[in-house]
Amino acid sequence: MEDNLKTTPLYSLHKKLKAKTAGFGGWDMPISYEGVLAEHKQVRDVCGLFDVSHMGEVFVSGPDALKFLQYHTINDVSRLAIGNGQYNALPTPEAGFVDDLFIYRLGADLYLLCVNASNADKDFQWLLAHKSGYDVKLDNQSAQWSQIAVQGPKSQECLNAVLSTEDQTKVAALKFTDITSTQFFGQTGYTARTGYTGEWGYEIYLPNGVAEKVFADLLEKTPAKPIGLGARDTLRLESCYLLYGNDMDETVSPIEAGIAWAVRFDKGEFLGKSKMEAQKAGQIPARKMVAFKLEDQGIARHGMDIYQGDRKIGVVTSGSFLPTLDFAGGMALIEKDGGQLGDSFEIDVRGKRKVAKIVKRPLYSAQVK
Amino acid sequence: MSFPKDLKYTREHEWVRLESGKATIGVTGYALEQLGDVVHLELPKVGETFKAGSTFGTIESTKTVSDLYMPITGTVVAVNSAASKNLEGLAEDPYKGGWLLTIEYSKEDGELISAAEYETYIADEE
Repeated sequence: MEDNLKTTPLYSLHKKLKAKTAGFGGWDMPISYEGVLAEHKQVRDVCGLFDVSHMGEVFVSGPDALKFLQYHTINDVSRLAIGNGQYNALPTPEAGFVDDLFIYRLGADLYLLCVNASNADKDFQWLLAHKSGYDVKLDNQSAQWSQIAVQGPKSQECLNAVLSTEDQTKVAALKFTDITSTQFFGQTGYTARTGYTGEWGYEIYLPNGVAEKVFADLLEKTPAKPIGLGARDTLRLESCYLLYGNDMDETVSPIEAGIAWAVRFDKGEFLGKSKMEAQKAGQIPARKMVAFKLEDQGIARHGMDIYQGDRKIGVVTSGSFLPTLDFAGGMALIEKDGGQLGDSFEIDVRGKRKVAKIVKRPLYSAQVK
Repeated sequence: MSFPKDLKYTREHEWVRLESGKATIGVTGYALEQLGDVVHLELPKVGETFKAGSTFGTIESTKTVSDLYMPITGTVVAVNSAASKNLEGLAEDPYKGGWLLTIEYSKEDGELISAAEYETYIADEE
């Protein structure tokens, strides 16, 4: 076991539930409870509960909050009305990713940034280092908040078990990526209609003190079951959601990573914009993210090289057996001329070439809307 | 967790049943539990020869891939193709239905340990 791993307020409950835990992004987190395949199916068919308290929460407020976020993100934050959220990313000046994140607008000049666990401190320092000249307040509240993801076709009725009638109505009105404040055992938290599984679902933000009660209540009163990070990874990969550190990092641009839809060139200046524009226009080389299905037996994993004959054309960024689809596949970053939909390439799986075919992204059609 | 006393074991978590010049090999229940759901198995073909300690295949769970190590030098004479088709069954019956292959060997040249020694070994590893 790695030293100095942090634990979430739900840790003793995970141990009681006999979770296998392991280090992830500096945290000792549940990887699985009854098994990755069963947990994956539970989320696709019914409802799963994920402890995602390791995620970071940074509040941005003040008169320049919008201006500050517009310049330091890729998506158009001005499109958010109060109660809306959006997928977004913090770019570097060289058009890499500092992180990808969700931004929610909670008030006129108040935004909640939900960031990756492994990047929470880095992101906060990055934002702090760029705030000079802006009338903006940055507040890293990651240590005070727990987060539970409630995901699956039955997620709404499961979540209702811990909500007041009034809050149930508010939650029922949420559109995809919207957020609203809700009460949990008398404490104020938030419920957002988002997720990382490709299923209808919610992510709830809870003050640490009530997190265990909410998780235990959901387990006791609903058909929801606890799900570890193992199934979280196979679920998100089927939906082709990016995982920082695997699919992209500071050396990969949002254009290359396949989220050009979230890059809003029309919003004005922002970090890395000119390079992203040049990449999109084909003026400078850019790779592209594709989904693949292995045609040979075996499993391709992160970091394995991809070839067309003798020419190396790319690398697997995420690969696994995909339980809902019942085949092995994943995502790969390849040269622009490395192949089109339906084309094949070869992946070097520990010295053996395995044939894979480029298929449509996402691998599994999201059921979120 | 208990380990059949009539089998030999390796520190790489294989079990071995030695019977008159033939050795049947599988993965221990302990290792299968640690791996989690097995989703892929890569095994050699009949006729291939392996030295003791060399890798003869791989076993993959949703998250990790582990090499399989040949306990003693020998030539593959049988492969359990049913095991590759019923991967969930491995953990349910690791020592009988979960055998992976049988080899012919001439001498016991690997580092084989008893069930009791294996039990102590995994207790130390945890």
